Order: sequence, then C-alpha cells, then structure tokens
Amino acid sequence: MRGVLKRLLAPLKASPQLALGAAALLGWILLLALGGLLQTHDPQLGDLAERFSPAGTAGHLLGTDNLGRDLWSRVLSGLPWSVGVATVSCILALLLGGTLGMCAAQYQGYPRTIINQLVDATLSFPGLVAAIIIVAVAGRGFWPLSITLGLLSWPVFARVVYAESLRLLAQDYVTAARVMAVNTPRILLGHLLPGLRPVLAVVFTFHFADMLVAESALSFLGLGAPLGVPTWGALLQESRDFLIVAPWLMAAPATAIALLVVSIHLLGDGLSALDRARR
Amino acid sequence: MLAGLAQRAARLLILLLGVNALLFVALGLAGDPALMLAGEDPTPELLERIRAEYGLDLPAWQRYLVQLGRMAQLDFGVSIYSGQPALEMALEQLPGTLLMAVLSMGLTLVTAIPAGVWIGQRPEAASRRLGAALTAVAQGIPGFVMALVLIQLFVVRLGWLPSLGYSQPAAWILPSISLGFFLAPKLCRVVSAGVAEAMQEDYIRTARANGASMRFILWREALPAALPAAVALIGAQFAFLVSGVVLIETLFLWPGIGLLLLYSAQNLDFPVLQAICFVVAVLVFAVNGLADALLRLIDPRLRPATQ
Repeated sequence: MRGVLKRLLAPLKASPQLALGAAALLGWILLLALGGLLQTHDPQLGDLAERFSPAGTAGHLLGTDNLGRDLWSRVLSGLPWSVGVATVSCILALLLGGTLGMCAAQYQGYPRTIINQLVDATLSFPGLVAAIIIVAVAGRGFWPLSITLGLLSWPVFARVVYAESLRLLAQDYVTAARVMAVNTPRILLGHLLPGLRPVLAVVFTFHFADMLVAESALSFLGLGAPLGVPTWGALLQESRDFLIVAPWLMAAPATAIALLVVSIHLLGDGLSALDRARR
Repeated sequence: MLAGLAQRAARLLILLLGVNALLFVALGLAGDPALMLAGEDPTPELLERIRAEYGLDLPAWQRYLVQLGRMAQLDFGVSIYSGQPALEMALEQLPGTLLMAVLSMGLTLVTAIPAGVWIGQRPEAASRRLGAALTAVAQGIPGFVMALVLIQLFVVRLGWLPSLGYSQPAAWILPSISLGFFLAPKLCRVVSAGVAEAMQEDYIRTARANGASMRFILWREALPAALPAAVALIGAQFAFLVSGVVLIETLFLWPGIGLLLLYSAQNLDFPVLQAICFVVAVLVFAVNGLADALLRLIDPRLRPATQ
C-alpha cells in the first residue's frame, strides 16, 4: 500500500507544476462529486423579489440573475454537463484517432495515404457547419454534441499518434518482436500502445481543455446544451443581455471556464515535462 | 518543384471532393430545404414547384453529379435567401476576414516573439519564470471569454471604443486583441522553448566567448534556431484565422466569412455553404503551401538533397 502511494506521489514531488495541476483537478472532482450538496438554492427556481442581487449579497455568494436565480448554484449545476461532454468527446476522439494513427504508421502505402487524406479533409471541414447540421437533424442534447465534437476532433490524436508510432515502430524492440513472428495486432496493442501512453496522456489533457472551450462556445452560440440547461456557455449567452446592469452574471461563468481550463493546462504542462524528463 | 506543385494541386482536388461529398451528405440529412423556402403552411403544389425549380425532385446521385458539374465551372448557384450568386457572397466577406487575420496575426507576432526571446534567454531567472507562468495562464483563457471581458471593460464601462463593425479603425482594436490574446501565448511558448534550447548550444557559447553582444546572439543566432517550429505554428494559426473565426466575428458583428457561415448554416443555405467551404479550403491550402515554402527557405535541412 505504502509502495503504491509512494510511486504515485513521486512524479508530483519532482514537478511542482504537476502537483499544482493535480491538486486543482482534485478540487474540481470534489466540486463535481459534491455539486448537489454545495448548491445553496435550486438552480432553476428564482425569487423575483431578489432579482439582480449583486455578488456578495447575503445568501447569494455570486449574486442572482434577471429571474432572481442563485448564480452560484447555477454555475455549479452547469459543471457536470460540460465535463461530461468533454469526457465523451475526448474518449471518442482518442479511440478513433489513436486507432487510425497507429494503422497509418503500421500499414504503408494506400492505408496510410487514405488516412492522411481523411485527416486533412476533416481538419479543413468547417466544424461549425457540421455542428449546426447535426443539431438540426438530431436536436440539441448531450449525445449529439459529444459525438459531433469527437467526430470532428479525432485528427488531433491521429496526427500525434502517427508521428510517435513511426518513431516507436522503428525501435529495436519492435524489430525484435517482428523477427520473432509476433503478429501485427499484438505488436500494435502489446508493444506500441504502452509506448504511446505518455504522449497520449499529454494530448488527452490538452484536448480535454479544448473540448471544454468548444462546448461552452457552442452553447454560447445556442447550439450546444438544450434550452434551460445552465451550462457555462449558456450562462455567458444569457449574461450578454444584462452587460450593463449586472456585470457579475458574465464574470462568474467566465472565471469558472478560465479557472477550469487553466488547471487542466497546468496538469498537461506537468505531464509533458515529466515525459520530456523521462527521455 | 513543378512536380511538387502538381502533387499539391492533385491533393487539393481530392480534398475538395471529399469535403464536398461530406457536406452533400450532411446537408441532405439536415432537412428539406423546400419546406424552409415555402414558408408557413405550404400547399403541396407550391412544394412541388419549388422542388422542380431547384432540382430537388431528382434522385440524390443525380443531384450530386449535377452539382459537381456546376462546381467544376465555379458555379455554386444562388443563395436560397438573397438570390445573390453564392460564390460572390463568400468572396464579399473575404476582405473582412483577411483584415482581421492580418491584424491579429501581426499583433501576435510583435508581442509573442520578443516575449518568447526574453523568456528563452534565461528561463531559470525568477522574472522569466513568472512570465512563463503568465503565458501558461493566458493560454487557458478562451478567446471569446476574453472578448466578452474586453467589451465589458472598454465598451460598456469606459466607453472608449466602439464594439461593432469594421468601418472605423477604432473598431478593429478589440477583435484583434481578443484573437491575439488567444494566439500569442502558444507562439510565445514555442519561441521561448526554441531559444532556451539554442542558448545551451556550443555555437552560442563560442559567440559569447568571442564577445558578441547579447542582442546579436539572441536575435541573429538563437532566434533563427527557434524559427522552424515557430513558422510551422504561425502557418497553422493563420490557417485557423482565414477559415472563419465564427465566435469573434459574431460577438463584434464583424462582416467576415465566419459571420456568413453561421448565418447560412442556421438557414440551411446550401449553395452559400458550399461556396464558403470551397473558398476556405483554397485559402487554407494556400496558407499551408506558403508556410511549407517558408519553412524550406529558412530550414536547409528540409530541402531535398541535391547532387
């Protein structure tokens, strides 16, 4: 037990950045887990007598909106949605991009050309058009949005995995495995994949942050969360109407997005420093 | 060189066909444009007439081929809403998008490169570490959040700047800062990493031992070593800028490709969407080609071995 803990904590000691990022992440996970308990009010129910209370009003830590709804509770209740969308889309992008990237590195010739062309085409496809069209077909919602973001962003993983796989596949231990007639799927999954892990961890972290921003941007445009779900992008969109009378309505979700993304970036920076130090 | 160019052109063609096919399928799934055109409570006869007029009554593969044939002649049809030729509409937005791209890229270059060189000179110094930490934080703040804060501050609170349109240069300031703020931290980090690495090299130590000034060493010896990575990133960032920055253009009502893209996508205006995709694909292709050529120019290792 002690040994496991030591091994887990060793990288944190080595990099203060990673420690800070991990601590921040722990804080966010706590907020996510305790979200419902920490909400002081019903995020959807307002008291019109208390509308537009500024931040710091007794009972309303972050103030209230135009319908008198408590902003702190609303910001908290938007967290699971955003994190959920980012998680699902990242995993989808990782699976798709990782598989295709590895295949492009392993199979030279046509498979490689086709996959690389597919990467280029997806990258040059205007993501917003796809997002709007899928919303038009399937309606707004958690799964349409997550799947759209995943399908549009897998080339990020494919590119990195492809480059790193080319390097790893040229290493002696892979050649040794090939000489010993280990079959290809086994080489890819058993020999290549473990080597890709550090790179994947870094890309996944940064991509997660990008997906959070993308989700809030789409919700901000009115294309993400269904009406009524108080995601941070939707809160920002609502706040635009009260820019003059209630600036705190914008400040709270904007700060929340920035803080979450910055803490994830810290983690990513720490992971990539760790990866560089290992080499 | 010519063979390379032909290969690139062939790849562009394949790419355009792929994007076009994807868009055709996606738009086909999006719903019946005849219903949208007909307005409220359409009669079956009216729907029939609209379908015949726009060729919507043909089977999908025929529509695809007809459309492909027209596109080969750069005819994307007319906008379903304004009746204006679609390609013309997309090209009209081009100056706005290019202006924004050049302004924000310029701002990014003049801030990120000096800052990156400064941090990279002695990355272990306390002041530089603070600078590096600040760029790390700045990188995490989404561009549209920054834009909202800037509007709140300079338009609503202080009333110093206009926030809409691009008829007057004062309105150019906030959009370019929002985008520059989003792009600069990344470039700054790439430059500082490259410079910091170069500063450890033997040739820099030799130059210092020979009494070269710090300014000469940083700008003429260390920065060039960091340039290939920087130029690759600048190319990618510029490609992002010309492909329509929807959020920033929407926030500032900037008449660029992004605004038209959002508008026509919301209205399912097929011809305009096709034209925009075409224009963007050509632009991105041109930017990538330029970036590649520039990379070859500044990095001799990338040139094909001659003799």
